[in-house]
Amino acid sequence: MELFNNLIFGFSVALSLQNLFYCFIGVLVGTLIGVLPGIGPMATIAMLLPLTFNVPPVAAMIMLAGIYYGAMYGGSTTSILVNLPGETASVVTCIDGYQMARQGRAGAALAIAAIGSFFAGTVCTLLIAFFAPPLAEFALKFSSAEYFSLMLMGLVAAAVLAHGNMVKSLAMVVVGLLLGIVGADVNSGIKRFAFGFYELADGIGVVTIAVGVFAVGEILSNLSDPEERQVFTSKVMNLFPTREDLKRSFGPIVRGTGVGAFFGVLPGTTPAIASFSSYMIEKKLGKDPSRFGQGAIEGVAGPESANNADAQCKFIPMLTLGIPASGTMALMLGALMIYGIAPGPQVMTDKPDLFWGLIASMWIGNVMLLVLNLPLIGMWVRLLKLPYRLLFPAIMAFSAIGIYSVNSSSFDIYLMAIFGVLGIVWRMLDCSPVPMMLGFVLGPMVEENLRRALQVSRGDPSVFVTRPISLAFVVATVLILIVMAAPAVRKLWGAAGASSREGVTE
Amino acid sequence: MKIALRNNKDFWAGIMLITTGAVSVLIARGYSFGSTMRMGPGYFPSVLGGILVLFGLYVMIMGLRSGEKITVHCSIRALIVLPLSLLAFGVLMTHAGFIPALAVLIFGSASAGREFKFVEVLLLTLILTGFSVAVFSWGLGLPYPLIKGF
Amino acid sequence: MKHKVKSLFAMILVCAVALCVGMAAAQSYPTKTVRLIIPFPPGGSNDIVGRFIATKLTERLGKQVVVDNRGGAGGVIGTEAAAKSEPDGYTLLIISSAYAINTSLYKLSYDPVKAFAPIAKLGTGPNVLAVYPGVPVNSVKELIALAKEKPGQLNFASAGVGSFQHLGSELFKSLTGADIGIVQFKGGGPAMIDVIGGHTQAALGSLIQFMPHIKSGKVKALGTGGAKRSVSLPDVPTIAEAGVAGYEANNWWGVLAPAGTPRPIIDRLYKEISAILSSPETQKLFGDQGAEVDKMTPAEFGPYIVVETAKWGKVIKEANIKAE
Repeated sequence: MELFNNLIFGFSVALSLQNLFYCFIGVLVGTLIGVLPGIGPMATIAMLLPLTFNVPPVAAMIMLAGIYYGAMYGGSTTSILVNLPGETASVVTCIDGYQMARQGRAGAALAIAAIGSFFAGTVCTLLIAFFAPPLAEFALKFSSAEYFSLMLMGLVAAAVLAHGNMVKSLAMVVVGLLLGIVGADVNSGIKRFAFGFYELADGIGVVTIAVGVFAVGEILSNLSDPEERQVFTSKVMNLFPTREDLKRSFGPIVRGTGVGAFFGVLPGTTPAIASFSSYMIEKKLGKDPSRFGQGAIEGVAGPESANNADAQCKFIPMLTLGIPASGTMALMLGALMIYGIAPGPQVMTDKPDLFWGLIASMWIGNVMLLVLNLPLIGMWVRLLKLPYRLLFPAIMAFSAIGIYSVNSSSFDIYLMAIFGVLGIVWRMLDCSPVPMMLGFVLGPMVEENLRRALQVSRGDPSVFVTRPISLAFVVATVLILIVMAAPAVRKLWGAAGASSREGVTE
Repeated sequence: MKIALRNNKDFWAGIMLITTGAVSVLIARGYSFGSTMRMGPGYFPSVLGGILVLFGLYVMIMGLRSGEKITVHCSIRALIVLPLSLLAFGVLMTHAGFIPALAVLIFGSASAGREFKFVEVLLLTLILTGFSVAVFSWGLGLPYPLIKGF
Repeated sequence: MKHKVKSLFAMILVCAVALCVGMAAAQSYPTKTVRLIIPFPPGGSNDIVGRFIATKLTERLGKQVVVDNRGGAGGVIGTEAAAKSEPDGYTLLIISSAYAINTSLYKLSYDPVKAFAPIAKLGTGPNVLAVYPGVPVNSVKELIALAKEKPGQLNFASAGVGSFQHLGSELFKSLTGADIGIVQFKGGGPAMIDVIGGHTQAALGSLIQFMPHIKSGKVKALGTGGAKRSVSLPDVPTIAEAGVAGYEANNWWGVLAPAGTPRPIIDRLYKEISAILSSPETQKLFGDQGAEVDKMTPAEFGPYIVVETAKWGKVIKEANIKAE
C-alpha cells in the first residue's frame, strides 16, 4: 500500500507541467540523437549538463533520463531503414530489421520495435518501483568469476548465430575475439595489436566497426551489384504490423524484456550483450530458425525490447546503491552530485520526489516516445522511396559525422573505411559479420574477467564451480553445449559419410 | 587447378582466416604468455590465433573439396572511391574544417555510384551540407570549425 | 653591415608588432569561441570539473567556451592535440594528475614541461583507503597487520594500469611493505563496485567516487591520502597520520594553454578562473564531492607539476610499471 502511495506521489511529481515539459524535451532529443549514429546519449548528456544547472534537480534528472532511454528507442530506426546502427545496442536490430525494410516491411519493423520498447519500458518501470533494492543487492553478488561464467555461456551459445556454415561462423567469432583484444590490456597495461597508434590504446569502438561493416559494407555491396535492381522493393506493405506479426512478436517481446532486465541490473555488462542474448534465444526457440537473417520480425521484437529493458534497468544500481552501471550512468551520478544530491540508498528516503518522480516520469516518457514515434514511421518509410543514388551519400555523410564525433578523431574515420572494405570482403567470402560482432562484444569481458578471477583466487580454477551463481552458469553452459552439439554431431557424421561416398564416385 | 582457385570462395576464406590467425600469433609472441592459471597478455591472442589457423585450414580444405564460387560481386570503382572519400573527410576535418570535409565526402561518395548526374549531385551536396551544419553544428553544438581560419 | 642593421630593424619591428597584437588581443580577448580540450571521455571527474569551468568561463568571458572531449590513452591523445594547437588563447586544456603520471609511462610527442604554459591549478581530490565492511580491520595499522599475517591474500581494486589509484596503491605497498595484490579494473567505477560487493577487500580509490558509499556505510574509510584531513571527512585521519609516514596521493586538476600563448591572455584567464574558484558555489560543488578548491597561480602551478612528475616517476620506476 505504501508503494502504491509512493507511485501516486511519483506521478503527481512527474505530471507537473514543468516536469512534463522537460521529460518531453528529453525524449525528443534522445530520439533524435538515437537516430544519428555515433552521437550517443553520453556525449549528449555531457553537452546538455551545463544547461541543467539552473533547472530544479528533479526536472533535470527527468530530462537527462529521457535522453538516455529515448536514444535507445531511436537507435533502431536507422538500423532498420539503412543497416546503419544508431547505437551500440541496435547492432543486432540490423540483422533482421534491415531485411524487413528491403522487403517493404520497414513500417512493421519500426512499429514492432516501438511497441516492444514500450512494453519493456513499462515492465521495467514496475520492476524499479517494486524490486529495485533486492535486485541491486543481487547484482552485487557478481564478481569476476560470475561474469566470466556468464560470458562463457554467451560465447558457447554463439553457435546459434551460425547461418549456413557452422565452422566459418565459429571462426568469425574468433576473429571478433581477436579484434576485441586490440588496445591496452586491463591486467598488465600493455598495448596489444596497437601498431604504435595511441588511437588504438583504448581499443576499437564497437560503433566504428559496426558502421563500417554493416552500413559502409552494405553500400559497397549495393553499388557493386551488376544487375540493375532496386535495393528496396517499391511495393511498400502496410505500415503497421499484421495480426500474424503481433502474434509472432508477443513471446519475443516478453522474453526480450526479461533478458534485458537481467543484464540491465548487472553493472558489468554492455548494452549489446542484452540484445545479442535475446536474438540468440529467439533464433534457438524459433520454429524455423532459417527465417532469421531473412527478415524475421522476432529478430527485431526481441532485441529491441531487450535493449530498452537493459537501458532502463541500468537505473536500478544507480538509484538504489549509487553505483554507475555504465559511462552514461556515471555521468548522471556526476550530475546528481553537481545538483548537491549525494547519490546512494538514502536518495529514496531523503529525496522521495526525485526517486519516485523519476520512476513515474520514465513511464510517462515511454508513452511519449510511443506517441512520438508511431506517427514518424510513415515519414521514415517514405524516405526509402528516394532513389538509392541520393540515399547512400547521405548515409555516408551521417555515418562519418557520427563516428568522428565520438572522439573528434580522424583516425576512427580511417578505421571505418577499413572495416567497410572488410565488410564487403567478408560478404564475398560468405563469412557472416554477425558472429564476429558477438565475439567482439564479449571477448574483452571474457578475457578480463577470467584473468582477474584467477588472479583473485591465486590461480585456483575451482572458483568457477564453488560459487553458486557461477556454478549455475557453468552447468547451463554445459547443457547448451550438449543440446547444440547433439544435432550438429549427427549432421557432421552424416555429412562426412556423404562426402566420403562422393569421393568414391569421383 | 589455378583458375579454379581464383574464384573459390572457401579457399580464400580459409586463407583470410589463416593469415589473421598467424599474424596475431606472431605479434602475440612479443607479449608475455604466462601460464593457464596465470595468464599473461600474450595468452589469449596466441591461443585464439592458433584456433583460427586450424579453423582456416579446415575451411580451406572444405573449399578445395566443394569448389564453391564467389557469387557476390565487387565494383572496383566503389571499392576505391568510397574509402578514398572517407580518407579525404578525415584529412579535411583536421586541416580545412567541417564544410569542405563534408562537401568532398558527399560529392566523392556520390561519384562512386553507377548513375552520376553532375547537377543533381551538386544540389545534393549543397542541401546535405547545409542540413548537417544546421543539425550538428548549430543544433547539437559540435565544436568543429566550419571552415578553418574563420 | 647595412644588411644586418636592416634585419635587426626588421626584427624589432616584428617584435613590436607582435607585442602590440598580443596586447590588443588580450584587451579584446576573446573575440571568438574558446575551445577547452578535456583529454578524457565524458563522465569522469576531469569532465565534470572541466565542464563546470567551461560554463563559468563562458559567463565571465562573454564568449562561448566549448568543451571538446578527446579521450584516449590515459589522456595522451587530447594532450597531444592541445600541444599542436595555435598558442593564441583559443585552445585550453584541462589536466589532472594523469598528466604528471603519463610523462613516465609513455613516449610522448610533446615535452611535458615546455609544450604548455600553466594557467591555474583548480582543485585537489585526495584518495581514500576504503575497505569492505566485512574485513575485520578498523584502522590503517590493523589493515597492514592483517596483510602481514596473511601475505598475498588481500587485494586492492585499482582503476587500471597507470591510474592514480594504481600508483597510490603501489606507493602504499612500498611504504608499508605489505604484501597486497593489486587487481586491475576498467576504470574507477567497476573497481569500486567490486569492493562494495566484497569481492576485493579494499581500494585506494578516489574520495569523490567513494564519498556516498562511505556515508551510507557500504565501505569503511580508514584514511585519506591528502596532506591534511579532508574537510568532508574530518573524523577520518590521513593515511600518513594513521601510520604510513610520507604517504600522500592526490588527484588534482588544472588548466594549461599551449606554450607561447600571450602572457596577457594567460593573466586574464587566471584572473577569471581565480574569481570562479573563490565563489561559494564552486567551494560547495568541490566540497560536496569530497574534493577541495586548491588555487595556484601560473608561477606556482608550473613547479608543482614538475614535483608531481618526479614523485610518480619514482613510484613507476620502483614498481616497474610499463604501459607500452
